[in-house]
Amino acid sequence: MNEITLTINDKQVKGKQGDTVLDICQANGIDVPTLCHFKGLTDVGACRMCLVEIEKERKPVPACTYPARDGLVIQTHTEKLEKCRRLILELLFAERNHLCAYCVASGDCELQNLAYQYQMDNVRYHYSCPPLPVDSVNNYLVIDHNRCILCGRCIRTCNEIAGVQALDFGHRGWKTLVCADLNQPLGESSCISCGACAQVCPTGAIYAKPSAYKGRPVECTKVHSVCSLCGVGCEIDALVKDNRLVRIDSPELANDRGLLCHKGRFEQLYDRHNRVTGPMVLNSQGELEACSLDEALNKINKKFSELKSHPGNGSIAGLASSQACNESLEAFRKFMADTLGSQLVDTLDGDEYRVITQGITKFQDGAKLSIETSLEEILKADTILLAGANPLESHPVVGSYIFRAVTKNGANLILVDPLRNAFSSRTSVWLKPPEGKEELTINALTKAIIDKDFAKDSIELKRIASSVKGINVIQATEEAGINTDALYRAAEMLAKSQHGIIIYGKGILRYRNPELIMSLLNLAAIAGSQDRGKPRTISLKPKGNSRGAWDMGLANSQNSILNSITKNNVKAAYLLLADDYVDEPRLLDSLKRMEFVVVQASYLSPATSIANVVLPSPTWAEREGSYTTLDGTVKSASRLLQPPGGVKQDWEIIHKISKALKE
Amino acid sequence: MAKIKIATAWLECCSGCHMSFLDIDEAIIDLSKLVEFTRSPITDIKKFSPVDVGIVEGSVGNTEEEETLKDLRANCKILMAWGDCACFGGVCAMRNTFDKEEVLKRCYIETESTYKGKIPCPPGVPALLEQVKPVNQVVKVDCYVPGCPPEAKAIQYALTELLAGRIPVLSSEMMRFD
Repeated sequence: MNEITLTINDKQVKGKQGDTVLDICQANGIDVPTLCHFKGLTDVGACRMCLVEIEKERKPVPACTYPARDGLVIQTHTEKLEKCRRLILELLFAERNHLCAYCVASGDCELQNLAYQYQMDNVRYHYSCPPLPVDSVNNYLVIDHNRCILCGRCIRTCNEIAGVQALDFGHRGWKTLVCADLNQPLGESSCISCGACAQVCPTGAIYAKPSAYKGRPVECTKVHSVCSLCGVGCEIDALVKDNRLVRIDSPELANDRGLLCHKGRFEQLYDRHNRVTGPMVLNSQGELEACSLDEALNKINKKFSELKSHPGNGSIAGLASSQACNESLEAFRKFMADTLGSQLVDTLDGDEYRVITQGITKFQDGAKLSIETSLEEILKADTILLAGANPLESHPVVGSYIFRAVTKNGANLILVDPLRNAFSSRTSVWLKPPEGKEELTINALTKAIIDKDFAKDSIELKRIASSVKGINVIQATEEAGINTDALYRAAEMLAKSQHGIIIYGKGILRYRNPELIMSLLNLAAIAGSQDRGKPRTISLKPKGNSRGAWDMGLANSQNSILNSITKNNVKAAYLLLADDYVDEPRLLDSLKRMEFVVVQASYLSPATSIANVVLPSPTWAEREGSYTTLDGTVKSASRLLQPPGGVKQDWEIIHKISKALKE
Repeated sequence: MAKIKIATAWLECCSGCHMSFLDIDEAIIDLSKLVEFTRSPITDIKKFSPVDVGIVEGSVGNTEEEETLKDLRANCKILMAWGDCACFGGVCAMRNTFDKEEVLKRCYIETESTYKGKIPCPPGVPALLEQVKPVNQVVKVDCYVPGCPPEAKAIQYALTELLAGRIPVLSSEMMRFD
């Protein structure tokens, strides 16, 4: 790192080789105004607000794209520059229809703030008043071209941070517009609605529908927290006004884990389901009726005591949704084990837990979920195999990571999926086996690597080779209806990769076949991975806190208790659903066969409709607690909103029941 | 000392800036000792006479407004623009992205509550201009107080500066466009 010395505004400042003039100004607290610059994005010098005067340069130059050199003499705030900046602002205002009084961004607009700073109380130019379209087809986002200053931040964000490449400039000259794909409406384009463009937009040109006109940042409280919707565990900054969520932003968009998705950013702002606002019990007419918490607890106490005191009467099963936070789940686990003495405990995603862990054990005895790799590894990958998963739906940020690896690193993407998804058009190879032939395809890939002697010598090799020795690649590809060349190509990519990674999800887990998981791990282990025998795999777990629930041993390691209700003589069940909306028919059928069901949930759902007692539960935004990401990091979330009166924290209610039962 | 004479006019606007001026509250008593309002919506005097300061609220959207503004300019030494409409076009300028005919049709014929509508035309009413303009695109303006409406304290500051013989320029903190 070579240190360089410059003179800025007659003062000596230091920087390093490779910095731009703007970098050095910012590092030294010299405030140069910017519009198109955004930390973490490539600078393009589009807006010219950061113009500076440099000795021996014939005209002012943009600081954001000017590479700093030793000995430069720079002025940042001469009268000429300040005049230029004011002129640029006036031209920007005259170019399109920037009338603040009816703009969604007024009060939160970088263009407006600069106009205030430069005391722009009038515009000397004639307005061009172009009739420009407003695109509101997208579910969450609006592009209002009237407010656009063509800074290109959205385009660079879509490209560099989201990796989606949906946005670009269309048309030429003064007709230039920010366009999605080939000038499609945003909602019909390849946009994934991650909302990063809206966050970086300096004006009101791209904004989020659910946040529009709900409150300005100055009127809101900003709370740092963690999104619990999926296992990525993104950190968020939530803006809250009058106990309502106004907006969710990423605290550092350009960080590795800075991107958010449409679910985390926008879905949380809607109230999609009706709330359970207080305890309810089933009355004699078979309807749920509001009651006091004591009444509900008495009813639970009576039934549970009856079953507990005479083991022959039947047992009580406990089921928890992995959407709840670690603290609630731990209270639930203790309650089931210590207070009720029941072994019949599981999570709603216990099946996925069993198949993944059994597969891992088959691959390596004693190995646990910690064998999986971290999500950041995707960003470093040069070859990615995506099997039976559409992360853009289940874990959208993971989907973006894959896009980024493909666009930034030029990573090979191999898809093993019978179904088309957003990745199908971006793959290097799409192996498309019919449903049920995924295992054969994976094993054929492993065999192809071994046959072609691509596999590096490793201790694992012998064991893996013997596990696929019965496979003939040609026959296997014929049986699975896959192009043999394509399979060999994919095998070569995997074998030669320096940083290969395998990601799998719902489409693989649904077979409940541990052998299939083992074959994926086998493939990952011989695929050019540098740390031998340490396969890089990531399983996309179904719920926000699956890993947390599984790590604390809440999921049953043997069998689903739902399958053996009769055998275990299960008469009652306690369901901790938290803010999970549960309507799975198989679960509901099993529950209907029980005598007594307690459901603790935030929302009315088919699950609450078959309950004997319903207890209220706070939503994600109303609880404080920790969540474990799918790659095993524990993150704590803050309470963003106050729950409605009478709604207590999950663990509080569980403690109350526990106390009553012990008395 | 003779009182400073002020004339005000409202053009295409909502009168919010004049309301905001009245929001200077008791300061208006001291002000009235120093200034005299001649033609103004507040005094209801209809004809302009020569004044020291002319104040205009609203943008220029029809021929009558254009005429009023030119009349005011001709009668004042210093012209001050109040509010976003006068400074930038404001809400009134929303119509600028449409044709004049489209605007009239939408307004007088297509509105949901209109039955057998008819577009009014001159000489009964002044004719609309093709585009709504901020006042500085019609006459020379000496100082501006933007805001929708400007805050009372910004108006008060501008008037105080004028009375002290200075052309007011709002500080960044006093600037607002909404």
